[in-house]
Amino acid sequence: MSTLTATISARSSKRLWIFLMDHIIELFLIILILGLTFGTENFMTWANWMNIFRANSLKGVIAFGMTMVIIAGLIDLSIGSMVGLSGVIVALACQNLPGAGFDLNLACIIGIAATLLLAVIIGWAEGFFQHKTGMPAFIVSLVSLGALYGLAGILSGGFPIANQFPEWFNQFGAGRIGGQTGIPIPAIVLVVAFIVVWFIMGYTTTGRAAYAVGGNPESARLSGINVGKTKIFAFILVQVLAVVSGLMTSGQVMSGTYSFGKGWEMDVISMAIIGGTSFTGGVGTIWGTFLGVIFIGVIANGMTLLNFDIYTQNVVRALVMFLAVLISSYRAKAKA
Amino acid sequence: MSALQIRTEQITKDYPGTRALDAVTVTFDSGGVHAVVGKNGSGKSTLVKVFAGATKPTSGEFYLNDEKLHFNSTSDAYEKGIVTVYQEMSLVPFLSVTENIFLGHMPKKYNAIDWRKAHQMAKELLQKMKVDIDPREQISRLPMWKAQVVEITKALSLHPKVILLDEPTSALAQNEVQNLFEAIRALKDQGVIIIYITHKLQELPQIADTVSVLRDGKLVGTVNMSEVKNKQIINMMFGDVSIRSRPKDIHVQDEVVMEVKGLCREAHYQNVNFKLNCGEVLGIAGMLGSGRTELLRGIFGADPIDRGEIRIGGKTYKSTSPVKMVKAGVGLTPENRKTEGLILIHSIKDNLCYASMNITANGWIENKRKRNIFADNQVKELDIKLPSLEALCSSLSGGNQQKVVVGNWLNTSPKIMLYDEPSRGIDVSAKQQIFEIMWAQARKGVSSIFVSSELEELLEVCHRILIMFQGKIVSDVKADELNVNELYELCMRGEN
Repeated sequence: MSTLTATISARSSKRLWIFLMDHIIELFLIILILGLTFGTENFMTWANWMNIFRANSLKGVIAFGMTMVIIAGLIDLSIGSMVGLSGVIVALACQNLPGAGFDLNLACIIGIAATLLLAVIIGWAEGFFQHKTGMPAFIVSLVSLGALYGLAGILSGGFPIANQFPEWFNQFGAGRIGGQTGIPIPAIVLVVAFIVVWFIMGYTTTGRAAYAVGGNPESARLSGINVGKTKIFAFILVQVLAVVSGLMTSGQVMSGTYSFGKGWEMDVISMAIIGGTSFTGGVGTIWGTFLGVIFIGVIANGMTLLNFDIYTQNVVRALVMFLAVLISSYRAKAKA
Repeated sequence: MSALQIRTEQITKDYPGTRALDAVTVTFDSGGVHAVVGKNGSGKSTLVKVFAGATKPTSGEFYLNDEKLHFNSTSDAYEKGIVTVYQEMSLVPFLSVTENIFLGHMPKKYNAIDWRKAHQMAKELLQKMKVDIDPREQISRLPMWKAQVVEITKALSLHPKVILLDEPTSALAQNEVQNLFEAIRALKDQGVIIIYITHKLQELPQIADTVSVLRDGKLVGTVNMSEVKNKQIINMMFGDVSIRSRPKDIHVQDEVVMEVKGLCREAHYQNVNFKLNCGEVLGIAGMLGSGRTELLRGIFGADPIDRGEIRIGGKTYKSTSPVKMVKAGVGLTPENRKTEGLILIHSIKDNLCYASMNITANGWIENKRKRNIFADNQVKELDIKLPSLEALCSSLSGGNQQKVVVGNWLNTSPKIMLYDEPSRGIDVSAKQQIFEIMWAQARKGVSSIFVSSELEELLEVCHRILIMFQGKIVSDVKADELNVNELYELCMRGEN
């Protein structure tokens, strides 16, 4: 009898453990929010929350694409370079095309189209070469990280290209709906990106293929899933989202600067991993990444409100990422 | 050198559900090569594991020169001088022969590796094997048989009393086997006990002095090789098996659904030709390495083909890929369900619906309701025992996992099913259920190709059996017209 109750309690405690591990981010987030609400004066205000969203949407948009890439068993470290490069390309188009007789608005749109096209080409190339050669995605994207960053530097001559954009371009990054204290446009873009990627991952064959490819590429291939096409789609998605982020970033300060986005990969990857996406592939949710975006945003905001200097902030961010990976490995063990 | 002897007394090993070894009493002396043979699951690998300290017998004892042995781990066995050379190579490919032989115990001088001495010692050991190998050569540059000799030399460096060779020729080409045998014969002069596990009977007259036959965990007998013929050994291996007959109502129709012409993949199979009829269950028999699995994978496009073509339903394929074959109505349940057939970290429902993904979806958009129906259908149809459809596939037993692999394909309504070792590692009743599924599909007009290393299964399940030998189809027989011993001889000799 006692062994029976022991088994039952062992089983239910295991279930509790799994439940805790599955929802540990929510738990941490609540603790964090409560702590900051009572520990600081300005945290729990509308203006501050809108600020959190405005600041973090730039990385958050990319994090959804990154989640798909990681679920498919890949990684893309080059997104930061694409953020900087896309701003430089649009700025150059605005600077030079009007001299050739183009309207400034049209020049800007041509620039945006060109940079989106480039994102598609880069994403395709990353997926194609990774799949054909079997090189680790880590290396493939390290190549594009360096090459795109260098290209942005060459194109811009190493200087910010400021004040070339048309006025409306500023709206991308700095605009708000509902006046001065309204909802920032980047926050709206974030929600739209969330819905799009959430739909792709949950409701399309491509999304399901991505889970399969990351879960076991060989089984996926032998089930007739087009593995190469799936990888290429994931890389293109994250690259396009990096361009969207790049447009918002350069719009916010009205300058195309090659070093924008440098070093973002750590925060972007953290957002996905904190949200429960497994580095080994095949597991993860877009909703989890949404929580991850808020989590990283709240931590960064909290540290600023508490007057942490930028160096300490970097250390804390690294520790948060470490904690996220640690939790993810415990989560896998709890289920085993 | 004094004579050595290893013997077992009433060794029994039970695994959940099966008795792998049943009161085996056997003696092996030094100075000879003692072959241990038996079909799959006869207990020969369990016997190796007991000697190697990898598993403990449930009851019974074993002795080396009257010293009772009791192993808790493989290192205990090493200490007593029992070393095992497994069929999978354990060598480090980019290190030298010398480094591989003395891996972990390189000779040292002033705490640094004494290379001169190491190479010298390696050379001496290799000379004992009467094989010309440069100790400085990198393993990856050696032919397979020489690497296998290095593996044995590595064992020899531990000054063993007993060497267990577990299927050492399985990866070797025909001429390489002869060279390896030379080396093994040289080993006999070293005064060690050589136990040679194999399933290749044709090797026995050349290498073995005695043969011990295991069947269903029991020792059928030990005979001197000079006194028996292969035919007698085959009889000992299989006994009098009665093959259950397949249901009589499965008829092969005249229509040809698939024709394979001149299919070739260098080094695996050459010039393969056959036709598959509607509703037919076609078996492929052959020894390990005969090319049977590779042929199946080639047809499905899991591996590329070099030449030849496949005709399915009026279409000719000169190259294949899983994507193309799924569209053509072909499905494959791979040899290794855990690494090639399933995504263990995903749910049972997902695993049942991957191959049919484009059928259940409306274009690009998933239809979750239809997916649920498809998954439910297979669970009912195949009688899959599961906690819930959302449970992870890793939580299922082997038999139920195999059913999920099959169900994943049946959801695509295939015309041709390729089964690669579908009964491996699943229990008897699950096996029977898998066969029932194959027959049920045959009644619906689905054609199947069935690769198995279990000859009884092939005879029971199939209408017709192709026999492969060294990459070629050497005969084409009706399953009703021969018995298991005859089939085994065909697989072994490669001629009719």
